[in-house]
Amino acid sequence: MKNGFIFLLGLFTAIALSWAGIVLGTHAQLGALTPYYDDTEGKSFPERTTGIAASGQLVYADLGCAACHTQQVRRPDYGSDQARGWGERQSVARDYIHQSLPQLGASRLGPDLANLAGRKPSAPDAEDLLKLLYAGSLTHPPYKFLFEQKSIVGESSARALRLTGNLAPAPGHEVVPSDRALALVGYLLSLNTAYDYPESLPATPPAAGHAPDTKQEAKK
Amino acid sequence: MTNDSTHAATAEVTAIDTQARVPLTLLLAAGLIWLVISGVLGVITSIQLHTPGFLADCSFLTAGRAQAMRETSFLYGWIANTGLAVVLWVLGRLGGSPLRALNWTVAGTIFWNLGLAVGLVGIGLGDMTSFASFQLPRYVGVLMLFAYAAIALPGVLAWSGRRSHGLFASHWYGVAALFLFPWLFSAAQLVLLWSPMRGTLQAVAGGWYTQSLWSLWLAPLALTGAYYIVPKVAGRLMPSYDFAPLGFWTLIFIGGWTGGRHLVGGPVPAWIPTMAVVACTMMLFHYILVGLNLRIASQAGGTAIKFIRFGLVAYVLTGTLDALTSFRVIAVETQFTFMATALEQLGVYAGISMMLFGALYYMLPRLTGRPWASAALTTGHRVLVSFGVVLLVATLAVAGWTQGSDLLDSKLALGEIFNRLRVPLMVGTAAQIALVAANLLLVVNFFRSACVCCATSTPSETPFRQPSALEAHAS
Amino acid sequence: MSTPLNSDPRIDQAAVTDESLQSAHDVLLGKQPDEKARYKLLPLNLLFLFSGLIFLAGTYLNRYAGHFDPHIYNENSIPVKGGAVAAVVVDPVVAGKKLFNNAACNTCHMVNGVGQPGAIPPLVGSDWVTGSEERIIRIVLHGLQGPITVNGANYNSAMPPFGRVAGSGFNWSDDKIASVVTYVRQEWGNQAPPVTTAKVTEIRTKDGDRKPWTVDELQKLP
Ligand code: HEC
Repeated sequence: MKNGFIFLLGLFTAIALSWAGIVLGTHAQLGALTPYYDDTEGKSFPERTTGIAASGQLVYADLGCAACHTQQVRRPDYGSDQARGWGERQSVARDYIHQSLPQLGASRLGPDLANLAGRKPSAPDAEDLLKLLYAGSLTHPPYKFLFEQKSIVGESSARALRLTGNLAPAPGHEVVPSDRALALVGYLLSLNTAYDYPESLPATPPAAGHAPDTKQEAKK
Repeated sequence: MTNDSTHAATAEVTAIDTQARVPLTLLLAAGLIWLVISGVLGVITSIQLHTPGFLADCSFLTAGRAQAMRETSFLYGWIANTGLAVVLWVLGRLGGSPLRALNWTVAGTIFWNLGLAVGLVGIGLGDMTSFASFQLPRYVGVLMLFAYAAIALPGVLAWSGRRSHGLFASHWYGVAALFLFPWLFSAAQLVLLWSPMRGTLQAVAGGWYTQSLWSLWLAPLALTGAYYIVPKVAGRLMPSYDFAPLGFWTLIFIGGWTGGRHLVGGPVPAWIPTMAVVACTMMLFHYILVGLNLRIASQAGGTAIKFIRFGLVAYVLTGTLDALTSFRVIAVETQFTFMATALEQLGVYAGISMMLFGALYYMLPRLTGRPWASAALTTGHRVLVSFGVVLLVATLAVAGWTQGSDLLDSKLALGEIFNRLRVPLMVGTAAQIALVAANLLLVVNFFRSACVCCATSTPSETPFRQPSALEAHAS
Repeated sequence: MSTPLNSDPRIDQAAVTDESLQSAHDVLLGKQPDEKARYKLLPLNLLFLFSGLIFLAGTYLNRYAGHFDPHIYNENSIPVKGGAVAAVVVDPVVAGKKLFNNAACNTCHMVNGVGQPGAIPPLVGSDWVTGSEERIIRIVLHGLQGPITVNGANYNSAMPPFGRVAGSGFNWSDDKIASVVTYVRQEWGNQAPPVTTAKVTEIRTKDGDRKPWTVDELQKLP
């Protein structure tokens, strides 16, 4: 079965090569990527994620939010991500080094969330997000199972959502977000890409520099 | 041709088929059940796309999870079971003697599908991983690997114990599919679930898995059947067959390098998507050669060939569009849109699944020794499923294209974009319903044909014609 | 011959046997010993097509792989030898704009640089901005206090130091100072040449640590 053995060897080489090139190759390049220390600010970026954000990421993953949301902003001349206010710079590998389950996503039925908490002029706050999750919208599914509707015993809970109109619970009842909902929102509010790394700044291609004289030369 | 006149080459159906009847029918039946399940999930998820509130209060079927369950049951349920049945059977036929160790296949089938069922419930309960086409929870991984090995064992034995010495095209594809999946699956398990890589490296490894799954497993599973059935029914030599090895090795060697396919502009170094663009372009070799080899499908007829022909056209189209849309200029329009979904469905449904349907139609009568139970159901399934899949891919493509150009216009709010997608997405739901209906016809036909008590014709009068020898010099 | 064979949709008839299917195709691959090896070159049109594809792929790889540098995200940029970070040529106006608007200058001078009447002078059309580069560098490095006249209006207030100097709450690197100064000198219709990091370093080392400038002091210097 010499023939057959060589055949199997060929198959194995094929898979090993692409594995080595793509997976191990990038691992060798980026596996040891460290946070970037900014001596002006005296701390490293990206900052460590808090416990609640880390557990919120698990909730995000298990609900499959990535089916409709991405978390990766592309550079300004590639797509409209930055023009839509989703972020002010390209996302880079360093942004994700502290995340245990990076949620890059592949579909944009909803907006990109990479810089949700850093959006300008106004980023949503916890209450906005909880209301969206509870009630949904025309374009967003509700996640009522992340909330608990219960009757008020004694004082109403400090966590209870302030709902009005037809969303309001029956009198004597309140809607309280579960721990999972709070973790998810904590995670969403931790998403920001405010800090600029050297590699995330927009690059000017050498040929098309903004110095006036090069432009004129190009015209000739 | 052998001069051994007593050899079974004279009869079209032999012990190879009859002895494999129960195990392979079991695999096929499992595949069909998952096909229907994933079809129903497909209807649900497609409704959720235009009516987000649909079933939203049921955490088991919330949009993200239902979507993952649909994809998983389709790939690891329908395609895996059916594809493996086809590969085992073809390897058996080519090997020239009955498959050995089929008990392993039966046991493997049971455990594979058990593992899959547990995995799907796990996804519903929130244990999914977050990688496309790799959502099965970590805890079923090892079980499924062992089950897979058990299913595949007879195929490997048939290959290593084959009578003829050369390797035929179906051998290459079949053995590649059987042999490569475990490596692929366990390598991905290792770096994504057991000791996860850091940050965006996960996305790179995930991309590598998804693309390798396509080119090292899904495509070979389907092509094993196509390379066997097309020349067999057409009764001709495959044109340009001397380049078929080039086509095969291109697929196997280049496939994995397309891993960065969907990371254009993303947070990975630029060379990764660039490499993927290059690999997608080189993969055109493969698609062109497959098209050249199997173009004789256009000169033959019958249910199986009609399905396979449809599948082949879609397959080659997938490859071409994949290469085109991988280029950055076009990707900026199609990335993150339904165009990606459309291409995926074009590949796995219109391409792979249609070829597998063809193989299924060809194979079952040989396993049971009888024709399919109903001609009307056969034709009905073919017409309806072709219609459904064309409609599905077309609407997704239209939706994807509008979505893509709308997303580029930053003044258009997302809500507005969503409103414009509504109509195509609703048509998409209709297509999904048509697909479920079509596949129910197949299921009824299958169980009526496979189950002994429903037999209409007595097996004694063989319905198979005598095949003749293929003339080597014909071309 | 195959069409009449397969007129029944319920069953597909095979035209040839498995054995002959394999052996006939084996011959085509030249694997059968009794057949003379038939090495055929690729047909010409395929050859052209394939070499075209290889050429296309090769060129693309060469042009857009960013020299396989892990820090190159834009396939159009080409790394400079030595040092991945230097590979990226950063546009100071873009970097400066971010600095300006990141809860720094914009809080006083406003996003559009018009200042606040009676309290904060404008940067638009101000000679202090577009005039001597040394003066504006000094103002931003060490701050400014006391009366000042900008565009004909008088102000008397204080601006904090931004440079990496004693008493600065910002501690911006010379690089950042150069970017932000270049930005204000080229934005809102201002047209003045850019400022280099080297120039900022030069001035900062020359001046050392000091208290904020006054207009009188600055006017004595170039
Ligand atoms: C705390 C508020 C404040 C901030 C922050 C601030 N400035 Fe000023 N700036 C002032 C005031 C007040 C003056 C006028 C000082 C005076 O009255 O002597 C001034 C004056 C100036 C001048 C000279 C007068 C003119 O308008 O041309 C320049 C140039 C200038 N600032 C640039 C900047 C730049 C660049 C930044 C950001 C790096 C900045 N300032 C941040 C308050 C501020």
